[in-house]
Amino acid sequence: MFLGRVVGTVWSTVKWKGLEGVKFLVVRPYHLADLIPEVSCPPGFSSEDGVVVADILGAGVGEDVIIAYGHSARVALEPHLKDGQLPSRPVDAAVVAIVDRYEASAQPGFDAKVKPGEKKTRPATSATSSRKKK
Amino acid sequence: MMLGRVIGEVWATKRAGAFGHRKAMLVATLAREGDRLFPTGEVVVALDDIGAQQGNVVTVSWGSGARAVFAPPDNRHVLVDAAISRIVDAITLDESGRVLNLQHEEG
Repeated sequence: MFLGRVVGTVWSTVKWKGLEGVKFLVVRPYHLADLIPEVSCPPGFSSEDGVVVADILGAGVGEDVIIAYGHSARVALEPHLKDGQLPSRPVDAAVVAIVDRYEASAQPGFDAKVKPGEKKTRPATSATSSRKKK
Repeated sequence: MMLGRVIGEVWATKRAGAFGHRKAMLVATLAREGDRLFPTGEVVVALDDIGAQQGNVVTVSWGSGARAVFAPPDNRHVLVDAAISRIVDAITLDESGRVLNLQHEEG
């Protein structure tokens, strides 16, 4: 599972039958430098990659979400599975939670200076976030 | 399995049903170089049932291995793909038996 921010939506008119009514979002994973700005990442680590995920919880652009992969993602899309029944949708990443709040901080002993990386130019993200009330 | 350090926690009230009410921890993945562990930059969310604290070095199990942490053996309905499976005290560094003790870094 990973924590990410919803940055976009995917539309498609032609899709597998069982996927009708399922929303697809583009989520950008948070990396260590987003959560704890004073920790620098090794060079060559791209933090601009987006992941396409299925969503039935109703997450919107700008919200933080937790994404699960694989079997867990399929289970998340089918909340009314009976015992022994297996999920059938062709999905391998899904929103399993919409985040209210997260906290992240470096502890003493967290070795941040071993592998200094290039400076990132993306906007700084605060280490604590709150979900906007609708 | 993956070695990582707990750096924080995530709270969410709106979640998929089978997600349950377990603690979701933010874990920064670690790599080793010589005598030191350093963060790779990747952060994962792992559910915790064994009481890992912020700053602990832990192992994270993936996939059905993660489900086994919570509900063995009939666990196809459990919605977990990453779980903290142990809190690491020390790591053997090489064949000579040198050990990297992680305990002193806690607290």
